Amino acid sequence: MFVSPLFEVEEKSGANFGEFAGWNMPMTYSSYQEEHLAVRNSVAVFDLSHMGRLRVKGRAEELEELIAKELNGSPGQMIGPTAFLNDRGGFIDDVMTYKISDSDFLLVTNATNREKVIKWIKSNSSLDVEDLTFSLAMIAIQGKKVKEIFNVDEIPHMTFKLNVSYMGMKVFLLSRSGWTGEDGIEVWAEPEIAGAIFTKLAQNGVKPAGLVTRDSIRQEMGYLLYGEDIDESVTPVEARYWVFSLSKGFVGKDAIVEQLRNGVSKIRFGFKMKKGMRVIPRRGMEVTSLGSKVGYVTSSTFSPFLNRVIGMGYISPQHFFLGYSTTVEIRGKTYEIKMDDFPFI
Amino acid sequence: MAEIKVGKYTVLSDLLYTETDEWVKLEGDVATVGITDYAQKKLRDIVGIELPEVGRDFSAGDPIGVVESVKAAVDIYTPLSGKICQVNEDLTSSPELMNLDPYGKGWIFKLRCKDVNEKVKLMDAEKYVEKIQKGE
Repeated sequence: MFVSPLFEVEEKSGANFGEFAGWNMPMTYSSYQEEHLAVRNSVAVFDLSHMGRLRVKGRAEELEELIAKELNGSPGQMIGPTAFLNDRGGFIDDVMTYKISDSDFLLVTNATNREKVIKWIKSNSSLDVEDLTFSLAMIAIQGKKVKEIFNVDEIPHMTFKLNVSYMGMKVFLLSRSGWTGEDGIEVWAEPEIAGAIFTKLAQNGVKPAGLVTRDSIRQEMGYLLYGEDIDESVTPVEARYWVFSLSKGFVGKDAIVEQLRNGVSKIRFGFKMKKGMRVIPRRGMEVTSLGSKVGYVTSSTFSPFLNRVIGMGYISPQHFFLGYSTTVEIRGKTYEIKMDDFPFI
Repeated sequence: MAEIKVGKYTVLSDLLYTETDEWVKLEGDVATVGITDYAQKKLRDIVGIELPEVGRDFSAGDPIGVVESVKAAVDIYTPLSGKICQVNEDLTSSPELMNLDPYGKGWIFKLRCKDVNEKVKLMDAEKYVEKIQKGE
């Protein structure tokens, strides 16, 4: 199992570690509910070193053919999220793209798909792929008050800078985006530097947060997690994940066009349970309408911000009625869930 | 009641324990039951509970409810046979009490035992410490 390069620093901060996608990563520090609220009300720092970090060089046209979104932005822009799709339009992975130049890109992949993406690019193009995952750590500083605490204005939203100084230390990359719904900065740096920044942030009142929090935070926004909500059998149309551009060619486009013309047999939906209902529908549990199976759950959690259980799954489009209450089967009992749209907050 | 530290876990010396990580405090023929510090730390953040019905009879080892954490839903089992005489209603609105105070405010249910001699099948603190050490 891979271990976070920030393991020692995080252990000192009280991290409880657990396995995620073959990595031993911080799951929680104090309680995920406190960490979750720190993101929504203040600011928190996450270690995302498990995610794949790749540098891809070569002809942009070759990458364009493999990736579902146009890469025609200016150097220094982040393009994404976008995706690598298979011939059937299913997700090989959803990725964030950083354009350094017309022939030089950075990609962030899901941890579980890093090797698959490298193999996919190499076997379908002449592009050169360098894996930076183990030489650089990645942390994300996210939260409502990030702007009050850090000077982030020099990096406009969805842009990045390379080889800059951050908190007095030289980092490889500084970007501004956020997978939390809040403002945020991502830092790629050598592990020692990333560890020093992490420690300094924690000392300055930025709450360390783990992957359990990351999961509850992303569910509030309706963001998808590979392996839970999307995989190779699900297309962006079914997932309502607009990661493609029809104005260009890419692998999987024909399948996408076919679905946009003729419709889909399942579609992603969101749901909330009543306040006080403290049971969590787990992945794979059946969604029913008057006794008939009409869908299934892929992700669900208790939202500390909304103080209720939220979740998402797939449902037959004929049964997708926003605001309508349907049911989910949990351990033989039926519970009411109300269909809702994203983001939940 | 003396506390025994096993790494980051706490075991209380005067309680009895099950293989499924419940603790039992026997007072006469009434058993108070909860989940151990080890169990709550393994489950991480607890967000919900399904409590047993007061007045229902159960046999030792029966599943009587479910603890929901962000990680998983796990059954809770009754360590002894008998009738449920009280449940901790506070857990319905504040299930995190099982994380914050597993041996105190996080207790789950009380059972009037059918036969207190069944307790011989339970582990004492020393044996439970061994179980945790083996599991780590």
